Amino acid sequence: MSARLHFEDFTLGRVFDCGAYALTKEEIFEFARAFDPQPHHLDEEAAKSGMLKGLSASGWHVCAIAMRLLADGILNKAENRGGVGAPEGRWMKPARPGDVLRMEAEVKDAKASGSKPFGFVTLECRVFNAREQIAMIAMTPIIGRRG
Amino acid sequence: MWWDDIEIGTRRELGSYTFTEDEIIRFARKYDPQPFHIDKDAAQHSIFGGLIASGWHTAAIWMKLAIESRKKDAAAGNPLQRAGVSPGFEDLKWLKPVRPGMTLTYSSEVVEKVELKSRPDMGLVKSRNEARDESGEVIFSFVGKGFVQRKPNES
Repeated sequence: MSARLHFEDFTLGRVFDCGAYALTKEEIFEFARAFDPQPHHLDEEAAKSGMLKGLSASGWHVCAIAMRLLADGILNKAENRGGVGAPEGRWMKPARPGDVLRMEAEVKDAKASGSKPFGFVTLECRVFNAREQIAMIAMTPIIGRRG
Repeated sequence: MWWDDIEIGTRRELGSYTFTEDEIIRFARKYDPQPFHIDKDAAQHSIFGGLIASGWHTAAIWMKLAIESRKKDAAAGNPLQRAGVSPGFEDLKWLKPVRPGMTLTYSSEVVEKVELKSRPDMGLVKSRNEARDESGEVIFSFVGKGFVQRKPNES
């Protein structure tokens, strides 16, 4: 049974497994051509001598992938009311071609609304690369309907 | 342009972009498949009352325009920041929904410079980036962070 998630399910400290996303070189190129055409995302030779020492995905691409995993893993199972932003996002380590990126989301804060039938939840989303390094970490506030 | 030469308060206009329904749906099907981003009918009945762009789509367009603006400056022979990669962002806010047909105009203003003890050859520059709609209202805003090379010590 794929149960719907309600505000009460987001207990402090609970970690949600949001699944994985296989990142191909073709997709790194495709995203970079559309939104972030810089050598370290598009040119394998130039990337080798860059700060990240090899081809890596655009940080915004990693954000978009994290969004996909969050939508599939949590938001589309909840009465989500849209995101308002992200207080912080850090790109810690590169996401490389061929990496299967894995994400977990930990409940860092959960507050019921005093007057409305929902609550405010802050998730810390951690995206791991194939070397089990945290590639990206982001704080994500969401709003969940009370059960 | 070295980190040392960058002045706080320097503002750049990055250009404008019109979001189409097709692109909104295409981006969201791949990266943000929530009903109000991919399904017109479901979006009508959502709290947004119609289709809206994924917030990460709005953010990705900032990157696209920032790169295009940099290329234009390079072609015009203007001095470019010796910019490297970015360690992340802060205070990212989606203030109003972005709907099909809307045109956003993006800008970037240097707000802070930070010395890096761990990397004396680099400095960090923080910029407040914004996207405004046709009436000038801020729709999207975040503080971007970027590493920029420092002027080598002359000895």
